[in-house]
This record gives sequence, structure tokens and C-alpha cells, in this order.
Amino acid sequence: MIAIEFILAGMLAAATPFLLAALGELVAERSGVLNLGVEGMMALGASVGFITVYSGGGHVMGFVFGALSGMALALVFAFVTLGLHTNQVASGLAIGIMGLGLSAYFGKPFESFTVTGLGKIAIPGLSDFPVIGGLFRQDIVVWLSLIFTPALWYVLKHTKLGLLLRAVGENPHAASAIGYPVILIRLSAVAFGGLMAGIAGAYASTIYTPLWADGMIAGRGWIAVALVVFGTWMVGRVFLGACLFGAVSLGGIAAQTVGLAVPSQLLASMPYIVTIVVLGIISSNRRLVKLNGIASLGEPFEK
Amino acid sequence: MTTTLNRRNFIAGASVATMVATLGARAQAATPDDPLIVTLVIPSPVADVGWGHALFEALETVKADYGDAMQLSVIENIFEGPDADRIMNKAVADGTKFLVAGSFGYQNGAMQIARRNPDVTVLHASGFMVAPNFSPFAAQYSQGTYLMGMAAAALSETGKLGSVSAFAIPELITSINAFTLGAQQINPDIEVSIVWLNSWFDPAKAQEATEALVAQGCDVLFSNAQDTPSVVAKAEELGVYSFNLNSSMKAYAPNTYLGCVLTDWSPFFRESIEAHLAGTFEGANAFLGVSDGVVKVVDWSPDIPEDVMARIMEVEAAIADGSFAPFTGPIIKADGSEGVADGVTMTDEEVIGMDWHVQGVTTPLPS
Repeated sequence: MIAIEFILAGMLAAATPFLLAALGELVAERSGVLNLGVEGMMALGASVGFITVYSGGGHVMGFVFGALSGMALALVFAFVTLGLHTNQVASGLAIGIMGLGLSAYFGKPFESFTVTGLGKIAIPGLSDFPVIGGLFRQDIVVWLSLIFTPALWYVLKHTKLGLLLRAVGENPHAASAIGYPVILIRLSAVAFGGLMAGIAGAYASTIYTPLWADGMIAGRGWIAVALVVFGTWMVGRVFLGACLFGAVSLGGIAAQTVGLAVPSQLLASMPYIVTIVVLGIISSNRRLVKLNGIASLGEPFEK
Repeated sequence: MTTTLNRRNFIAGASVATMVATLGARAQAATPDDPLIVTLVIPSPVADVGWGHALFEALETVKADYGDAMQLSVIENIFEGPDADRIMNKAVADGTKFLVAGSFGYQNGAMQIARRNPDVTVLHASGFMVAPNFSPFAAQYSQGTYLMGMAAAALSETGKLGSVSAFAIPELITSINAFTLGAQQINPDIEVSIVWLNSWFDPAKAQEATEALVAQGCDVLFSNAQDTPSVVAKAEELGVYSFNLNSSMKAYAPNTYLGCVLTDWSPFFRESIEAHLAGTFEGANAFLGVSDGVVKVVDWSPDIPEDVMARIMEVEAAIADGSFAPFTGPIIKADGSEGVADGVTMTDEEVIGMDWHVQGVTTPLPS
């Protein structure tokens, strides 16, 4: 198998943890709340999900409990930021660190244990193609993510719910004035973000790398946060960005196996460099800021 | 009493430690009332397997000899850097007299502690600095990986071996070189590919690297300095042989486990602690191998052909009695130039500082 085949086959699975967590964060940020605790919510989801599967609960329950634990952490964040109007950046960081600590605490007795992942589902016909065939052999979660992504795009773009969410993010005072419960909508968006981060973490620890080790999320939550900016809060671009980052991370490895000398440290920092460049481009142009930014992002809302 | 601490509850436990410190600070003697406090600092969590586990288990073994006269505390998950310096200083301030700094990156901080506290003995993993109360220690993994290379080449059908490795530092390069040289004893045309992860700890990336190597046709993998069973478990899933260092991971790969280059640090720790208590400790570069009882190869796969196994045993015996060393010339570097001349054996210093690949390794060194 040649390197490009390896990248194509593994890209989507490598991108899935980023993608799921980033889509959750995208929804939270669309409502105007910046939750920087994604890394911690993913870690907690990973540890709780792993423990569930290891203890015989099965993969579905692993995802359920992983998602719930991520959501629980997000609700703590929602309580302090939406309820007590604390600074979102500081609270998000604190929640993230807390999540990492809790994941290590719960996971301690399970350190370095492994579980069995799930098999891959191939699309008959397509998966037999040379080179690109690997793209069509993925596990169930990757397939579901591929269905979920356009569904989320549709909801955000074409439904009343999506419009409401965006309105709350753009101008919470206007939304409130015409009678919408801003705090409740933001709370739901943040909870959804935690849910998705928990699922992303559980995917990482029970299917993608079916083992638990403290610190195994290894910065993937931060890449998810960066991806949302990279994708300028658009579902499609976030998806493309996740695939790109997944491919780049595998590309660095594949290049080494075929004997190419690439500075893999530089490749590892690519997502962040690209994010800074995108941020720079957006904020250098007022029109782009208006088009792509979220007006009330990070600002507490008080009636 | 064994206490397992991490960064988070380290501070919480400080009050207890301070109480203990007032006891420990008085004298060097080790009695149940006045125990010797031994502290181990490591960058990863102590798990059932891996590097941290090997150090921990060895200290536990020594502790069994002393009972309550020795107190062992483990501080895990400490990043290499200023935070580590602070934590090691705190441990010494709290009465630690025997410090095991379990990673290369702790070197400068640990050396400062040794200079400032002449009554504290420091053992430092994989470094090169030496002081009267400061010994660097490293395992001659190369003696074990050479044997593994012979077994790997005998089992490989594709003639391609792979290694998932943490950082391109001499210690790891040396292991891979010896692995390659050993493999060439069985199959002179063998090729070895490496993926450098540039991380001591990223299980997901380690598994991606495993898949990438297998995709390139590698059918025996060397999990080099990976503290989790990520590579070994993935290799089992993909049906290729694998082996690792430090502690056995056979449980994670019941069918395709090639073996383990085990490190048993207890003889070295026991000797050092005895010397510390007797006041005769002298810092020196401890580069320990098969003959010191520190490096052992265990859990050999039953699939290795008998004739190859017999040859491996012969070589192992020759390494143990000193009649053979893996890095004996002629050795050609990967760039084609001469590495070691015919009949010459590399000195320990040369082996420790090795920063080039032998011929047969196809992946260039990261610049």
C-alpha cells in the first residue's frame, strides 16, 4: 500500500474526534458562548466512555455515558458563565483543566488497559477501488458523523432553530426583546457542545485508539477549538478543515515511513499556524469580520 | 508506606510531607522511626506497563528489603521543565535524601539539587552529567534489541521491519541501530523504517504510526520507548509481530508478541541505596546491561525457529560474558561512510552519544 492510500484510508477516522468536538463548539460559539474547555470535556468523555466499555457496558453505553459526562462538565461551565456572569475565557480554561484532572482521577485504576474497537463497514463496490477504496471502509461512528455533518448544516442554515441560535449569538438583546429566552438557548447550545466533545472523547478512547492512558487526548481538544475559527464558524469549512488536519497528521507519519525527511515538529504545529493566519486574514478586513465573526462571542448577557 | 502522588494532589499532601520532613532531615540512618525517604519523579503516569512502571517496581522491590525504614513516594506526570525543578526541590525540602529523576529532561534541575544538597543522592535517567552525589543511569537496551533483531528478521516475510519511536535522541537511535545489526545477522538485506513521533506520550499517534508502517509492508514492529501498549495492541490487531522495552506487554498481544527487552533496575537501585546509607556513594556513569542483570529478554515468541533461537541464546551468552558487543566493526553508516572499522568495538561513550543510523535504516534522521 502506498502512502497516499494510507492517508486516504485513515484521514476520516483521524478527523472524526476533531470534527465532532469542533461541531459542538461551533454550535456553542454560534450562540455567543466561547467554551475553551473542549480539551477537558473530551478527556472526561474519553475516560468515562472507556471505563463504561471496559466494565462491559458496550460501545453504545460508552458513548452515552461519555456524552453525558462531557455535558455535565459543560453545564458547570454554563452555570458559572451564564448564571454568574463570570469571564468565559477564564472559566473555560478552568473547566478544561478540571476535566483533565477528573479524567485522570477516574481513569487511574484503568491506566493502560485496552478494549476491542469496532469493525469497519465497507460500501460494497466503492471500497474495492484501488487507491481511494480505503475511503469507503470506515467504522460506524465515521459514517454517522458524515450523515450528522450535513444535517447540522441544514439545521443551522434552514430551520427556525438555527436562525434563533444565530440571532442569539449576533444580537442577544434584540432576541431577548422580541421574547426569546436567550439564557436558555445559550445553555442548550453549551450543553450540546459538551455532549459532542464527550462523544468525540469516547470515540478516541473506545474506537480510534481503544485504550485508556492519562493525557491521551494530547491537545486534540485545542485543535477542535482552532478548527472552529479556521472554518470561520461554517459547518462545511470546519468539516474540510478537520479532514485537512487529519490528513496532515497522517501525512507526517506516512512521509517518514517512505523515507522522506520532513520536519514533523513543524507539521504538528500546522493546525495552529493556519488558524493564526486565518484569524489574521479575517480581522484585517472589517467586512470579513462582519460576515464571519459572531458579534456577541464571549460577552456575558444581562437583561 | 507507599504514596502515589501526582501534580494535583501533591500540594494537598504537602502538609503531611512537611511533618515527615522534620523526621527525615536529621540523619542519614534508616530506621522505622527515621526512614530514608526515596522519591521517584517521572513524566508519565505509573501504569501496569512501561518505563515508569519499571522504575517504580524496582524501587518497590528494594523497599521490601528495608520495610518501614524506607519510605517511597512517587510523583508522576511531571512535565520536563521548570515545574519539574520546583517539584524536585520541594521533595528535597520535605526530606527526600534519595531522588530518582526518571527522565532526561530533568537533568539540569536535578544537577542543581545535587550541587546544593551534598547529603542528597540523585540518580538521573539517560543523562550524561556526573557529580560526586549524582549518577546518570541508562540501560544498554542495544544488547537486548540486537537479539530481538535476529528474531524479527527470522520471522519477517517482507524483509521490512518498523519502529515507532519517541524522539531521535542517541539512546533510542542506539536501540534501533542494534536492532538493525542483529536483523542483518539473519537477513543481510533487511530494511528498517522508523516513525519518530516527537512525543513521549501520544497513544493515538503511535497507533496511526503503527498502521502507516504496516501499510508500507513492515511485518515486525519495535515499540521504542512507548509507555502505553498502543503499538503492541495495534500490531496484534493487524496481525504483525511486535516487541517493546522495559516491561512485558504480552497480555496485550497474546498471539503476535515477539518478546520484551526487560529492564530490572532493582540490582542497581539496591546497590546505590546501600552505598548512600553507608556514605560510600560515588557518582559515576552507570551504563548497565545484560551482565549487570539489568537488561533481560523475556517472553520470547514460540514462533521463532529453533535454529535461530539457539543462535540468539549463543549471542546472549557471549554478550553476558563480555566476549561479544553488538557495536563491533565493520559497521557502515546509513550514508555509506564507515561507522566503525573492522574489528573495533565502540566504547560506552561512543555508544551513548550515537547520532547516526547504520546502513539498513531507510528513514533519514530528523534534522
